[in-house]
Amino acid sequence: MDLLPFFQWMGGIPLSQYVLSHTWAAPIVQVIHLVAVAVFVGSLAIVDMRLLGRGLTSRPLADIARDAQPWLIGGFLVLLITGLPSLTSTALKQYYSPFFWWKAEAMLFGIIFTFTVRRKTILTDEAQLGLYWPKIVGLLSLGIWTSVAIGARLIGLMG
Amino acid sequence: MIRPLFEWLSELSSSIALREAFNVYPWLLTAHVISTSWFAGLIIMMDLRLAGIGNLSTPLVQTQKRLFPWQMMTMVVAFLTGGFLFYGDPMRFYPNFWFWLKALLMFLAAVNAVVFHMTIYKEALEKLEAKLANARSWVSWDFSGVVPHKARVAGFLSLILWAAVIISGRMIAYSALVPQWWLDLDL
Repeated sequence: MDLLPFFQWMGGIPLSQYVLSHTWAAPIVQVIHLVAVAVFVGSLAIVDMRLLGRGLTSRPLADIARDAQPWLIGGFLVLLITGLPSLTSTALKQYYSPFFWWKAEAMLFGIIFTFTVRRKTILTDEAQLGLYWPKIVGLLSLGIWTSVAIGARLIGLMG
Repeated sequence: MIRPLFEWLSELSSSIALREAFNVYPWLLTAHVISTSWFAGLIIMMDLRLAGIGNLSTPLVQTQKRLFPWQMMTMVVAFLTGGFLFYGDPMRFYPNFWFWLKALLMFLAAVNAVVFHMTIYKEALEKLEAKLANARSWVSWDFSGVVPHKARVAGFLSLILWAAVIISGRMIAYSALVPQWWLDLDL
């Protein structure tokens, strides 16, 4: 299915026009996006590090994950909200960038993984997880989301 | 005084080589953004605990001790990648308002961290080690969500400063969006 008409339509919506015609709109959206990235990465990292047996190992995994959850969800929602104007205002550039599709696919995989496999692992009694499974989940989570970040950054730098 | 130093740096053969190397800049910047996100993310997680608004089930001293090595590790990577980015094109950064603002904010954030560790946190650790069991002591602070006012201020200040570092760092790309008085300096 060719998504080009959809991206062309996105480029013409009022939100895109607003961002393109106001000098400060794009930078403001992008700085909020980047602060949200830090919050999201921090809340993801402390749980993934705990899965890997690093960082906050003195506390049960479930406690660390419960504390991190609102920041993970909140950070992700802000990322989606601020990512939308960035996407629509540069819709055609994104469409033709291989890194955009890299990011989009990795992000879709990351969302599914985070809210299924990773969530189930976190909610399971630690004693039943075994030695290797938490480490595999932690590594995969960090790998997938790092891949999203690499793709996202390279859209602007390498087209 | 500073301009000649920046010019001298930019004319070094290694600086020129870095500037002209194919695809080095995008990958360096990507590594810098990722390591900075890690560093800032871990700092934010610790500051949320310090400010008394997040990660409350983990004792503060544990949050500080166990995240600190990772914060330092990611800071070193962020510092090195940032250093190479700067070294590759010093004259691009010299007249940039946001570059200098970021440098100032990083300095202030570092001062805040050092002052906190040398005063409030040190006091808490000493009292913990002495095993004071007073219900209103630092011991109870470490294991509860109740954080003393001074520590909360340090936590909020750190959150604000590091967010401002990220913001000014991103704004370096928008070198034209600067106050008029900065342009009047004609650097």
